[in-house]
Amino acid sequence: MLRRSKGDYRVNEMNGIRTKYFLACLFALLSGLAVAAPDGQGLYVEHCAACHQMEGEGGIGLPLIREKLEDMSDSYLFNTIRLGRPGRVMPAYQRMSDAQVKAIIGFLRRQSGTTGRDYDSSPVDGDAERGAVVYEEHCVRCHEADGSGAGEGTGVTLSRDRTFLVMPASISNPGFLASVSDQMMRHVVIKGRKSSGMPSFGDEKLNDQEINDVVAYVRSFAEKVSPPESLDGDERPTHVFQSPYSFEQTVKNVKAALTGANFRIFPDRFVEQGLVDEFSVNTRQVGIRFCNFNVLYGMLKIEPRLGVVLPCRITILEREGGEVMLVVPNLRVVSRWFNNDELVTLWDRMETTFNDIIDEVTL
Amino acid sequence: MIRALLLAVASLLAVTPIAHADSMIMGRVAMKAELVLEYVKSSVEEHGYTVAHLQLCDGGMTDFGYKTDFYRVVFFGKVDEVRMITADYPELVTYLPLKIAVIAEKDETLLTVLNPEALAPFFDDERIQIQLGRWQSDLISIFDDVRRSIAARAAGAS
Repeated sequence: MLRRSKGDYRVNEMNGIRTKYFLACLFALLSGLAVAAPDGQGLYVEHCAACHQMEGEGGIGLPLIREKLEDMSDSYLFNTIRLGRPGRVMPAYQRMSDAQVKAIIGFLRRQSGTTGRDYDSSPVDGDAERGAVVYEEHCVRCHEADGSGAGEGTGVTLSRDRTFLVMPASISNPGFLASVSDQMMRHVVIKGRKSSGMPSFGDEKLNDQEINDVVAYVRSFAEKVSPPESLDGDERPTHVFQSPYSFEQTVKNVKAALTGANFRIFPDRFVEQGLVDEFSVNTRQVGIRFCNFNVLYGMLKIEPRLGVVLPCRITILEREGGEVMLVVPNLRVVSRWFNNDELVTLWDRMETTFNDIIDEVTL
Repeated sequence: MIRALLLAVASLLAVTPIAHADSMIMGRVAMKAELVLEYVKSSVEEHGYTVAHLQLCDGGMTDFGYKTDFYRVVFFGKVDEVRMITADYPELVTYLPLKIAVIAEKDETLLTVLNPEALAPFFDDERIQIQLGRWQSDLISIFDDVRRSIAARAAGAS
C-alpha cells in the first residue's frame, strides 16, 4: 500500500488549484468567444469603408445611403455581402461568420436609421418578352442593353470623372440577381431612386403588369450573362523564359521590343536597388519598367487600384552559370485578382502584346 | 481532460474566420494622402522593411498632360527575403519589392495592396507558404498601424 506524505497532499492540492484556475480561464475565454458580439462598426471599417467610404457615401463601391438602405431587405444585404458582385470589384465575403455579416448589417441599420423592408418572396407574374420592350423604352439608357450599367462601371473613384453622379448598378450581375427578390425589384422600379437620378415608374407611368414584365425581363439576364473566360488549370502567376542571349544583349532586346510596341521605358532598376547600399546591389538582376500612358489612363478609369501592380515590368535575371532568365507577369492571372471584368477583358488582350514582345526578344 | 479542452479551444480558434482572405487588402483613412504617405513609410520601416523607392504615378501622367490626383506607390522589402526569392522562387520576383498604393480621394486616402496570399495556391511547399503568410500578416499590421496612428492624431487634435 502506498502511503502519501503531507508534501504529496500539498502538491496534489496545488495541482487542484492550478487545474481550477486553468479551467476558470478557459471558461472565460470560451464564454468570451461565444458571447462577445462581433463589432459591426469595426468590421465595416475594416472590410467595407475602403470602397463605400466611412459614412457610406460611396466611392469605388456604390453609396450605402438611407434612401437606398431603406429599400433593401436584410436578406438582400446579407446575400450581397456573402456573394459579392462577381467581376464588379466587390468580393464575396464567404469566410465571415453569419454573426459578423449580421453585425455589419446591424451597423448599417443604426448608422442610416433604417430598419429594412421585408419583401414577400413570391415571384412576379410577368412576361420577359413583353418586359424587354418596356426595358428598351425606359431602362436601357442607364442600365445598358445587357443590364451591366452605363459607362465604365464600378471601380471609378470619386476623384475621377464619372458619367453619372452615381453609376447605375449592374442589374445583370449574378451576385445581384441571386440577392434581390422580385418584390424588391418591383418596389425600386415603382419608387425610383432620387439620389441616383432613377425616376419613379409608379403613378401610372407603368402599370402593374408592365412592372412585373420588366422585373421578369431583368430576371432573365441570369441566362444571358457569360462570365469571362476562366483560367487554364496550369496557368502560373508569371511566365518564365530562357534567353538565348547574354544578359546585356537580352536587356537591349527587351528595350528595343518595348520601344517598337510604343511603350515608354523608365530608367532601369535593379531588383535589390534601394534595399542595400549601391556597392552591394546585384547588378545582374534588373527590372525593365515601361508604360504606355494613353493605355494606363484608360485602365485607371476602370480600375483605380492598378497601382499595386504598376509599372509594367520585365525582370531579367542572370543565374549562376550565366543562364539568363526573363520573368514576365501573367496578365490573365493578375487581372482576375481585381474582380473586375472590364480589366480582365482588357488585359487578356494585352497579354497577346506581351507575348509578341517576348517572342521578339527571345527569337 | 485538460488536453481535450486545449484541443477544443485550438479547433475553435482554427475556424475563426480569417480576415482579408481576398486578393486585395484595402483600407481607408480620413486624412489627406500627402500625410498618410508619411505614416505608411514610417510603419513600413517599423515593421523591419526598407523603403526602396517611391513611384509617382500621377507625376508621369501629368507630364503627359493628364489631370490626375495624388497617387503614389511605396516599394519596400527586406534584402534577405528578396535574395531568397530570386534564388529559389524566381518566378515570384515580379511581385517584389512589395508595394502599397496610396491614392487620394478628396480629403481621404485609399490604401491598397495586392495580398501575397493570392499567390499561395500556385505553390505547394511550406517554406513559401510561410513567407507569403508572413507578408500578408505584416501588410495587415501596417494598415492597422496607420489607421491607429491617424485616429490617435485626430483624437489628440480634438
